Amino acid sequence: MPGRQSLTAASEISRRTWLQGTAAALGAGAIAQPLRAAAATSPRKQLLLLFLSGGASQFETWDPKPGTKTGGPFRPISTSLPGVQISELLPHTSKIMHRLTVVRSLNSNIPDHFQGHYAMQSGRVAPGYPVLGSAVAKLLERPGDVLPGYVSIRRDGPKAYTDVGDAGFLGAKYEGVRVVNNQPPENLVQPAAVKPPLAETVDRIRKSSDERFRHGRDAAPIDAYRTTFEQAQALMERREIFDLSKESAADHEQYGKHEFGQHCLLARRLLQSGVTCVKVTHFDWDAHQDNFYWHQIRCAEFDRTLVTLLDDLEQRGMLEHTLVVISGEMGRTPQINKLGGRDHWGRAWSVAMAGCGVKRGVVYGSTNDLGTEVKDKPVKLGDLFHTYLRAVGIDSSASYDIDGQTNPVADPAARPIAELLA
Amino acid sequence: MKPLCRPSKIVERMICIAVCAITPAISVAADAPPLHQQIDSLVSQRHAELNITPAAISSDAEFIRRVSLDLTGVIPTAQMTREFLKNTATDKRQKLIDELLASPDYALHMARVFDVMLTERRIAAGGNLYDVPAATWREYLAESFAVNKPWDQLVRELLASDGTDEKLAGAFKFYIVRDVAPHQLTRDAGRLFLGVDLQCAQCHDDPHVADYRQADYFGIYAFLERSKMHPLSPRGAQLAETAASKTTFVSVFTTKSGETSPRLPGGEMIADPPLEKEKEYLVKPEPKVRGVPTYSRRLKLAELLPRPETQGFTRNIANRLWAQLMGKGLVHPLDLHHARNPPSHPELLAALEHWLVEHHYDIKGFLREVALSDTYQRSSFMPADSPDLQEASFLVAPLRGLSAEQLRWSILQATGRIESHYARLDAQVKKTSPVPEVIPVPAWKVKTTRNESLERQTVSLMAAFTGLPGQPEAGFQPVVDQALYLRNSPKLLPILQDDPGTLLARLNQISDIQSVADELYLSVLSRQPTEYEVAEVRQLLHSAKNPTDRREPLQAVLWGLLLSSEFRLNH
Repeated sequence: MPGRQSLTAASEISRRTWLQGTAAALGAGAIAQPLRAAAATSPRKQLLLLFLSGGASQFETWDPKPGTKTGGPFRPISTSLPGVQISELLPHTSKIMHRLTVVRSLNSNIPDHFQGHYAMQSGRVAPGYPVLGSAVAKLLERPGDVLPGYVSIRRDGPKAYTDVGDAGFLGAKYEGVRVVNNQPPENLVQPAAVKPPLAETVDRIRKSSDERFRHGRDAAPIDAYRTTFEQAQALMERREIFDLSKESAADHEQYGKHEFGQHCLLARRLLQSGVTCVKVTHFDWDAHQDNFYWHQIRCAEFDRTLVTLLDDLEQRGMLEHTLVVISGEMGRTPQINKLGGRDHWGRAWSVAMAGCGVKRGVVYGSTNDLGTEVKDKPVKLGDLFHTYLRAVGIDSSASYDIDGQTNPVADPAARPIAELLA
Repeated sequence: MKPLCRPSKIVERMICIAVCAITPAISVAADAPPLHQQIDSLVSQRHAELNITPAAISSDAEFIRRVSLDLTGVIPTAQMTREFLKNTATDKRQKLIDELLASPDYALHMARVFDVMLTERRIAAGGNLYDVPAATWREYLAESFAVNKPWDQLVRELLASDGTDEKLAGAFKFYIVRDVAPHQLTRDAGRLFLGVDLQCAQCHDDPHVADYRQADYFGIYAFLERSKMHPLSPRGAQLAETAASKTTFVSVFTTKSGETSPRLPGGEMIADPPLEKEKEYLVKPEPKVRGVPTYSRRLKLAELLPRPETQGFTRNIANRLWAQLMGKGLVHPLDLHHARNPPSHPELLAALEHWLVEHHYDIKGFLREVALSDTYQRSSFMPADSPDLQEASFLVAPLRGLSAEQLRWSILQATGRIESHYARLDAQVKKTSPVPEVIPVPAWKVKTTRNESLERQTVSLMAAFTGLPGQPEAGFQPVVDQALYLRNSPKLLPILQDDPGTLLARLNQISDIQSVADELYLSVLSRQPTEYEVAEVRQLLHSAKNPTDRREPLQAVLWGLLLSSEFRLNH
């Protein structure tokens, strides 16, 4: 069909070949170019997003400005990376800085929760694109996958800006399965009123009917539908992946019994079970007043759990194929307001990464002395999105091909940060 | 590269805003064959060129299920199917089409289809505080389709609405559900009324689509950028508009900038009329006072856009209505018409456009013609020696997923829930002394009220099957949550019980196995069971010695069939 695709003949052929094996599992969408060169036997790359919702202050975390009028009361401390200091609120993290990658020169320019949540996760300002978890779930999908590709772990409320249409044009299949307050998704268990023989007969009738109906007809939609029942069965059988009581008491202790610790423990459990992308939202960083009190509390929870999580992933050999991204929707103002708070800020702030595909012990870019502007190596939010994709082995210059409509997987006006990629 | 297709003869005429609603011109020019014949001859021509043989014409059972779903949004009852299969009249398909189009379910179904198309299941940012209630909007649409309001008039009402006219309260939904946000409105007016998605052109000329220029995007944007939401206290909202603004834009790639006045793609720029400084407003905007300009760019858009002269306006609706029945647009995706994504059948699309203009955007008449065509009435069985399927050749009826709404009503129909509910309501009415109606209530409105409790029973089902807000629902995208819902949800179970008057209750009372299987298959899959299927039912009921032992196996077959692809798909 003389469509809109600007595909070369070669990629068109490989797309077709690839589709033959995966059409049923993938539904309507497919990817315009062969993105995954790796054989399906290699461990799948995975992604964990720790999202600091509300906006953490870069001054009290990755980019301290001690002794200045914007720096606040906390001191900087030395880290395992010679010459690099971070805020004293992250004492555990300071010991593993040589394993992290920090970007200190992000200018996202969006001082707004709603837009920031969407843009920092989708790498775009224009609406309708999939967020990181949905995009990577789609782009790293393999034929025969039964578990959901993307799970989002959060507490119940505030709902306002945390769950904004995740999958965009990729459609409902790639919308994050939500685990709220550590409750598993709905309908994973057969109702007590339905006795096993009844359920078996229902299944048998469905299958034999499908078999007859499929004969002589276009098999693709029939098989796509049938696959969802197979996935449902697999998920029911493996529903213990959502069951934290199966984790050891020691792990519960180490991760922390608080909400964030428990959510990170579940995240590790899900990644270990084979879920491609997990997002954990850490709440309450929006410190318009008493910023320093709040950051002490938030950082204490975050600091220890982060190190436990990264150690755990490392020891289990998971970190080499799992990219961990630490980001919020924005940073906080250099100015300290009269309530002792810092307000919304997007012009010069920091994000961090660790694990798969990124260099270790790199601090990229800097801000000026007061932290009011990016000083060197400015980074756009679209650049980060490219970088995340590249880190997990995805060609970020590729395009989706959904229903004949091609759409670049990452903003063509941005590019990956080569110096950060391993 | 093909030039954009335009009807060979565009009827130039002024269309009055207050055009009478009930004037569908059915007359056909003496020289032109009826549209359904034109469709078939143009599609056959392509088959001949490709040297392929299309699938046979559908069986009566395939046809009644498909056409009922497409025109009324629900599968037929067992009784309707039985009568249709028995009927030997040669014009029975045409009669059925006309009956369905005349039924109140047509208006209700079309309201559901256009609700989803026009709002894409969005929710206004202010939620219930500002949004037009769903019921008001659905009623507006249902009434529009019940009186067969021409499409240009419907679009004009949507675009002209500012929330102040009580009679058109529902029409304000198009704006308010997008928070009267000019960028969102620009994109969606382009996509939904002109069939072009100018989203990329917001920030730069579209790198993939040469036709989509940044200046086109901002030309539409200029009509809308002066509009914004005016919240009312304590609830509700209207649209406020200012009298002055300048539309400029800068490309993020080339940093080239531009400036534009309101302009439809391919059209002329429209200058604001010169007004004296103090005469710019009918109502001057103040805090808490809704501004009303003397000259409204938005009303200009409402006047100019819904006209045959507007590039893409007729083509868009022809293509969308075609896709409603054929599963796929002649231009596909529906909102991506441009020179490098031309229609699969340019002459056919031109004929459809021509017909719509000649018949003043008669939606019902258009659907009737398409449904009458052999092209629509093909079987979904592939021809025996079918070559590599030509996607857009209309060789065979496509398998399409039921929409959430079609699924909801079809599950209620198949299980006998609709009939038993109506019977109960009728019995109640008989008990209470009937009060004579002073003003006759339209049938679609009566049905809306009668359906309320059925809708309440299936809220969880809708939640499981509706797509994402703000995304067009294209193609069949089944997801695991839905399978889990159908298998395990305690909320679905009550619908599968044998309450009086339901299908299971009926089946419990039939002793003859063949009759049980007939009733079951006619009710759920709108066809007679095969011998194999009768045997399957017989085998399941084999060990049941008395009627109560039959309840569980019968429930299992019903449930299993509801979960089958044959039920889930429109075929």
